[in-house]
Amino acid sequence: MTGTFSGLNTARTALWAQQRAMDVTGQNIANINTVGYSRQRAELQSLGGTAVAATYAVNNNVGEGVSADKVTRIRDAFLESRAQLETATTASLTVADTTLGQIEDAFREPSDTGIQAQLSDMWNAWGDLHQNSTNPGPRSEVLERTQTLVSGIRTTRAALDQQWGSNFDGLQTLVQDVNATATSIADLNDSIRRATAAGLPSNELADKRDTLVLKLSEQIGATATPADGGGVTVSVGGTTLVSGASALTLKMVGSSDPDDLGTNPPRIMTDPGSTLVRPGGTAEGQLTAMTATIPQYRNAIDSMAKNLALTLNTAHEAGYDQDGNQGGALLDDGTGDPTKITAANLTLAVTDGRKLAASTLSPAAAGGSPSGDSTNADSIFQLSLSTTGTDATYRKMIVGLGVQAQTATSRVSSQSVISAQVDASRESVSGVNIDEEMSNLLQYQHAYAAAGQLVSTINDMLDTLINMVR
Amino acid sequence: MRVTQRAVVLTSLQGLNSNLSAVSKLQQQLTSGTQISRPSDSPTGTNTSLITRQAISGNGQYTRNISDGQTFLDATDSALQDMLSQVRRVRDLTVQALNGGAQSAQSQQAIATEVAGIRESMLGQANQVVQGRPLFGGVTAGNKAYDASGAYVGVGGTGGIAVQPLTRRVSPVETIRVDLTGPEAFGDPASGKDLFSVVNAVVAHVGDTAALSDDLKDLDGVINGMLASAADVGTRSARMQTAGTVNTSTALNLKTQLSDTEDIDLPKTIMELQMQRNGYQAALQATAQVIQPTLLDFLK
Repeated sequence: MTGTFSGLNTARTALWAQQRAMDVTGQNIANINTVGYSRQRAELQSLGGTAVAATYAVNNNVGEGVSADKVTRIRDAFLESRAQLETATTASLTVADTTLGQIEDAFREPSDTGIQAQLSDMWNAWGDLHQNSTNPGPRSEVLERTQTLVSGIRTTRAALDQQWGSNFDGLQTLVQDVNATATSIADLNDSIRRATAAGLPSNELADKRDTLVLKLSEQIGATATPADGGGVTVSVGGTTLVSGASALTLKMVGSSDPDDLGTNPPRIMTDPGSTLVRPGGTAEGQLTAMTATIPQYRNAIDSMAKNLALTLNTAHEAGYDQDGNQGGALLDDGTGDPTKITAANLTLAVTDGRKLAASTLSPAAAGGSPSGDSTNADSIFQLSLSTTGTDATYRKMIVGLGVQAQTATSRVSSQSVISAQVDASRESVSGVNIDEEMSNLLQYQHAYAAAGQLVSTINDMLDTLINMVR
Repeated sequence: MRVTQRAVVLTSLQGLNSNLSAVSKLQQQLTSGTQISRPSDSPTGTNTSLITRQAISGNGQYTRNISDGQTFLDATDSALQDMLSQVRRVRDLTVQALNGGAQSAQSQQAIATEVAGIRESMLGQANQVVQGRPLFGGVTAGNKAYDASGAYVGVGGTGGIAVQPLTRRVSPVETIRVDLTGPEAFGDPASGKDLFSVVNAVVAHVGDTAALSDDLKDLDGVINGMLASAADVGTRSARMQTAGTVNTSTALNLKTQLSDTEDIDLPKTIMELQMQRNGYQAALQATAQVIQPTLLDFLK
């Protein structure tokens, strides 16, 4: 036998559960545009009578209604970890692409103002000097053109150094940001654990935490694995960054001078413990830029400056100047030492046009006095035609840069397609669909109305029952 | 597959973005007029562009060298021609002096004075300066080939000093000599049989028939030398002219090549831009219509 009023109770649980389901639908609709929100579903469950038979208590009830206590977050763990990986890769490739783009900007080729054009102008000035070596005009032209070239090389090198420096600063800020985010994740882990233990809903906290984890993936290539009590363990390249309610601090170490790369390169370490961390994401991109990409072109322009100085000096020293003296070094490092030349200290060592050694003919061979010969100027001009000379080496470097930058661009564009697809897949699982919510709303609304109808029917039934005994 | 409004928005946005960036790329090409604004736009194109730009710059230098060398050769040629006609006059006067057994002392004196005058004038011609360089002075640093007495003060061609030619580079592989030293044109002063010594001798020997006929022989030798030099200069001038023609056509070829490499194909780019813009507009239209409706629009 069932109790007289048990039907009313069933209707009450139905009203309550449908209302709760409508509340959840409302929450979903409210957060349709919230980034990182996962749609929720009220888990409706039918309530049955006791199923354990007892001697004096026989229960053949039809059931005791419905419960909607549990509200679950709909999320695909596999897609989430895919998203973490792809976000990190995209971030890393984006930095690589940007870095190469900035290096291209630093070299500003092909143009009429790049180093190639300045080199050509310099060689042509020697060609003009070959035409007319007794006139001071072409001599000062050679000096001016060479000075322009030297400044051009130094400017490019300074641009690369500046780029390196801004990467260094950027990484430092990023590490601080990562530390703050890791602490927030640890705090959220703790809150979620407490909420779960107390049986309180923690879906919104979990969403917030997962958004932060994704941010860490982008910044430093973090990956998350589920842990006890609804928490997550966040690790970076094998090092555990957040475990439960505790977070590890990272620090950036290394010299801020790109010249110390060999001895003290920039790197990321754990703060207590000083263990080397191998990051992914933006941090990886910036570290690669600082330790590989930018140094590659810094070295290239350094050795270009050195080779240019070497070949020019050798050719120049083979000639005689307007006063009949043997030519000296044309380019040095500013202190008179041609062996320590880099692109940063390349300096024009000759300031007097008369000291340009345009002549091959020694005063002795010319009858005792300086001659007006200019064959050496032509020899220097011919250096521009060499297939292994500065021009050719520089061209090779620029073409290499172009290929590298093109590859980086196409990699980042294909990677962003992958990343967008993963995002769309995640969105298709976790995102809110208005059509679905509206039909759910209708469904719950009708169920609510039906449950109300049930109450009124039971009311009528009880009316009939009570009126029977009158 | 379950599709959500946000996923639709995200993918539409991505599509619109890539469309818009293609439009912007084409627009940038159109406004700058060049296909290659950075090496990554086309690494091979960049290589060609850099090589061509360097070749154009070098070619410009050869153009200047050629026109300068032509000036030098032309000046040398006209100086030689002028001097030749003057030397012929000296020869005429010498013959006149030789045949002048009956000539008076005054007319012999007049001949000597005229020859001396012509010698001065020829010295002036031989010291002609182009761009601060005496035409016949070789690689001298000074501005004279012969001093007032007619002694050679240039460098090269005499006194055991080899001729150091002044050349102009007319192509990566070719240089053309543009000068002619005094000793080459007018005879080696060391032998005492150069133009100015011989003419000097003529002045001194007017009246002395025997010596004068030797001088006439020497003078003929000098004239032959000068004629040969003039022919040499003429040949070089012709070579220079050919080099100039080649240079002009090379410049044109290089310009065309650079333009082929760097410049945009205007009709093609405009068409592409138009197509891309149509695509973009269609995408905008489609996005506007897809994002709009939901079930909400159909519920009462």
